[in-house]
Amino acid sequence: MIRPDAPVLLEIRDLRASVDEQPILKGVNLMIRAGEIHAVMGRNGSGKSTLSKVLAGHPAYSVTGGSVLYRGEDLLALEPEQRARIGLFLGFQYPIEIPGVSNLEFLRVATNGRRLAQGQEELDTFAFEDLVRERLQVVQMDPAFLERSVNEGFSGGEKKRNEILQMALLEPLVAILDETDSGLDIDALRIVAGGVNHLAGPDNATLLITHYQRLLDVITPDFVHVMAAGRILRTGGKELALELEDRGYDWVDEELASLEAGEAARTPLEVA
Amino acid sequence: MSSTATVGDLVSQPYKYGFVTDIETEKIAKGLDEDVVRLISAKKQEPAFLLDFRLRAYRQWLQMQEPDWAALGFPAINYQNIIYYAAPKQQEKKSSLDEVDPKLLETFEKLGIPISEQKRLSNVAVDAVFDSVSIATTYKEKLAEHGVIFCSISEAVKEHPELIERYLGTVVPSNDNFFAALNSAVFSDGSFVFIPRGVECPMELSTYFRINSGDTGQFERTLIVAEEGASVSYLEGCTAPMFDTNQLHAAVVELVVLDDASIKYSTVQNWYAGDENGVGGIYNFVTKRGQCRGDRSRISWTQVETGSAITWKYPSCVLQGADSVGEFYSVALTNNRQQADTGTKMVHVGPRTRSTIVSKGISAGHSANSYRGLVQVGPKAIGARNFSQCDSMLIGDHAAANTYPYIRCQQPEARIEHEASTSRISADQLFYLQSRGIGFEEAVSMMVSGFCRDVFNQLPMEFAAEADKLLALKLEGSVG
Amino acid sequence: MVAVSATEPRHPLPAAATAAPWIADLLADLPAAPSAAVARARELLAQQPLPSRRQEDWRFTDLAPLTTIAPRPLDPAEQASSAPAAPLGPVAEPGRLRLLLDGLRDPLDGLNLPPGLHRLEGEALQAALGRSLAAQGLEADWPVLLNTALAPRVLALRVSAAVAPLLELVNDVGTGQGVEALRLLLLLEDGASLEVLQVQRAAAASATSLLLEAELGRGARLRHGLLAQGHGAASLLAQLVVSQSPGSELDLVSALSGWGLVRLEPRVLQDEGQAATRLRGLQRVDGRQIADTHSQVAFAGPEGRLDQLHKVVADGAGRSVFNGAVRVPRAAQRTDAAQLSRSLLLSDRARIDTKPELEIVADDVKCAHGATVSRLQDDELFYLQSRGIAAAQAARLLLRGYCDEVLAELPGGAAGWQPLERLMGEDPTP
Repeated sequence: MIRPDAPVLLEIRDLRASVDEQPILKGVNLMIRAGEIHAVMGRNGSGKSTLSKVLAGHPAYSVTGGSVLYRGEDLLALEPEQRARIGLFLGFQYPIEIPGVSNLEFLRVATNGRRLAQGQEELDTFAFEDLVRERLQVVQMDPAFLERSVNEGFSGGEKKRNEILQMALLEPLVAILDETDSGLDIDALRIVAGGVNHLAGPDNATLLITHYQRLLDVITPDFVHVMAAGRILRTGGKELALELEDRGYDWVDEELASLEAGEAARTPLEVA
Repeated sequence: MSSTATVGDLVSQPYKYGFVTDIETEKIAKGLDEDVVRLISAKKQEPAFLLDFRLRAYRQWLQMQEPDWAALGFPAINYQNIIYYAAPKQQEKKSSLDEVDPKLLETFEKLGIPISEQKRLSNVAVDAVFDSVSIATTYKEKLAEHGVIFCSISEAVKEHPELIERYLGTVVPSNDNFFAALNSAVFSDGSFVFIPRGVECPMELSTYFRINSGDTGQFERTLIVAEEGASVSYLEGCTAPMFDTNQLHAAVVELVVLDDASIKYSTVQNWYAGDENGVGGIYNFVTKRGQCRGDRSRISWTQVETGSAITWKYPSCVLQGADSVGEFYSVALTNNRQQADTGTKMVHVGPRTRSTIVSKGISAGHSANSYRGLVQVGPKAIGARNFSQCDSMLIGDHAAANTYPYIRCQQPEARIEHEASTSRISADQLFYLQSRGIGFEEAVSMMVSGFCRDVFNQLPMEFAAEADKLLALKLEGSVG
Repeated sequence: MVAVSATEPRHPLPAAATAAPWIADLLADLPAAPSAAVARARELLAQQPLPSRRQEDWRFTDLAPLTTIAPRPLDPAEQASSAPAAPLGPVAEPGRLRLLLDGLRDPLDGLNLPPGLHRLEGEALQAALGRSLAAQGLEADWPVLLNTALAPRVLALRVSAAVAPLLELVNDVGTGQGVEALRLLLLLEDGASLEVLQVQRAAAASATSLLLEAELGRGARLRHGLLAQGHGAASLLAQLVVSQSPGSELDLVSALSGWGLVRLEPRVLQDEGQAATRLRGLQRVDGRQIADTHSQVAFAGPEGRLDQLHKVVADGAGRSVFNGAVRVPRAAQRTDAAQLSRSLLLSDRARIDTKPELEIVADDVKCAHGATVSRLQDDELFYLQSRGIAAAQAARLLLRGYCDEVLAELPGGAAGWQPLERLMGEDPTP
């Protein structure tokens, strides 16, 4: 839903980042307002996963330039856990297994951290159980998964559902979903996408990072951005994704080549 | 807290039980000879058989050599420079708790062990041992109604000499090893538990050991007997003040379990570990052994070892009775310069005996944490089973985790399985938890306690949370 | 309170030790030492008792059976005459370079070595000999001293490229009685590769000391199989000491059976890590035999890999020992090591001692270890029986499968030696 007067949730300006001194992001600009669904597409290595990790504060990536404002606040100055508590959520492409740590306990600690940051009171174990059972519906997940260790031994689909369950509990304002569709069969994709659609509302925003059109068949984006070589090359509506599906990414290479040839003068497109 | 802080930075935190109680103490002169052994026995007004036991042990000790096989690095101990008996000056044990020196009650309260009538834990009976003597035992009368004897071993010597004579030294003979012999010669106090035939002990029993004096050794002796069909759950806790000298703690624990009886023995050991440079701390050289004498008997050892400069203990089970069961669940956390060499021996003698070993070692700083175990299956142990799991977690790259799981099998109808793994807290796991709003310290502590969960689940409920908290404290940061 | 004691040390060293009479007799019977190094080794050996069970390294293994063997050098003439008349094992065929070792004669005499394989001699030999031992501090180890004191020559080979034929080293003592020592040195240059099948056989009261040193250059590959088929009165002490450079791959496969006493010590050092080590061992004891494998793999640099499987079959009143040390110091980050020890105990008079030793001081490592001791699995037996196979035959099938998992890894060409049949005590076809 595009509302030009909606408050800006995330504003990324000329963001540059590197890993092991290797520059990956080379000036990303992006503005996201409440209510919007954005999709970032691009080939492997275009920098789209790096963008998601930098936003969430992964320690392996160092920011070398630019800024990110989250509701007007300097996001990059915050620790990963602080970013999560104020409403930024990253759905991992490969959710991490943590043996020994109970999923239920993990969800409860995370949820209460977010609630405290929002000025709400912590939920005791009983109240939390009620909440979590209700939210399980969103992803049609078996409560038995609550008793297991975090993601340990979960199938790919179960891990992704667990990610969306966390999102349902943390109620983020900006949800970044990194390749949420990878490794999902069609049923799991439908359930996960249903969860995302269910959680999307006028006050929050979603940033989908994906490779394929098929996720966008079930979640309709307001904006589609094409990323290549560490920056956003082109921005359009949902039809841009269809065009990509149709024509492939070869034209991106051409555009990139001409861009690099003419460098200096041009600035990448921005979403206003 | 910065996420650039390493996990290793988190595991140092000041020892919170390091205070000294200012109380007048009666001590004997330093040093050890036959006269000292006689003096200890006389002070405790012991019967002749016990003096003989001590003297025999002393003479055996003189012939023995301090063991060096565990390759633990520590300077030689001068056994003539230790005080072998120290007691707070309140003389006779008081008949009522109200008469106990309030300073002592206060000390235990400060340690989280309230023993006064008003504040004591409702379902746990406590024997509080201060330096060499037991100062109070709660709920004695209530336990006596069930025929359960729970008192200091000195009291038991006076009131139940026949039981002491029958069982003392029968599981750990006085010449078993160097430190057991020393303990047998000079042991000061400790707890005695007797659960008569068919009785399920109505509450948790607990002994709390406190070393207060700086130059005393602590040599407590614990003896627990469960007669046919009896059962008991027993927990011991230990703390000591911070001194920059090392103190010797050489305890002996003996468990005897008859047919269909069971003993669950839990330890939360938090003796002073020395400072970050390895100065001071307790040398914890302990012999713990239980004998499943009866058929279908069971012994379960659970330990959470976080303290001491050096820990050297192998709570063991001799599984004699047919179908008897031995269990060992252990968490050992070492930091700074601590050395822990711990594990268990499961000696399968009888048929269809079963044992389970779960050991979790966490090494941080420059510490060394070793699991050393023996699973021995003798020729008569037809159908014996053992399963062992030894996991190590390393925090930082200066700590050592060693695993020496020795297996000896002489019985083809036996099955022994052993698994070991080494892991660490990965940066990706930490980031995942952080990205859900869980702070760095809490994330580390969640993962460490998750790593230990199999063992904590075995602790009596009242203490599981305690143990979790203890580890969390050890992991809590001095990182700003 | 614990002061450093000024009193006498508690553990005075034993009074100046003297050699076991057996060693003294053996040394007395040797020809003059050919070099200063040999003389020195004999001198050191003469000052030491036999390793005793009071030493941790020899805690489970009694060397007494060794001393029942005539303490004199084995006579190669006797060996030649006693060896079976029929050609040993499979007929030599193309793709196989067979060298017969007797410790005395030069097996390379009059031989055209295949491309990539060269005799190592002169200064190059002197520089390389003992280097791997020194890297692991083994120069004064008792079995090394014994070998050095006795071995009349060294078979030393330099490998400069991929060697096509299988190098088959055969030492068959036959019914010869006495003591022999074989010393080998393999120097694999960067990128070189070699497959070796070493066959040790004895049929009477003899003792063999085997010492192999190998150095693997960068990217070099060595696959070494030791097939040792012994006799109840015979002893074998074998040390395989290997240094690996980064990128190298080592496969050590051993199958030991029939020896009254066999002690195998594979000792591998990845001197800068980043190498791959694969160890496969199988030992079978029966009667009153003792088989002892003491392996050690040390990683001195990062990203090394170890994959170790050790299997035991213990029958009769046999004794099997496995001691597997894995050392991962701080420099060895990202090491990936796995060790599995599986033992089958088939008799209630047999005994199995298993002692893994994992020592780790690096936090970013994977080190897994497992050990099992059991008899044949009832459910597997039952499954076969339910398909109409008699119990005894089913047990035999399972046992063959169990052993074959290791034997199948011996270098190609080992099959001709019928390792499985001999190991199982089945009559090998002539």
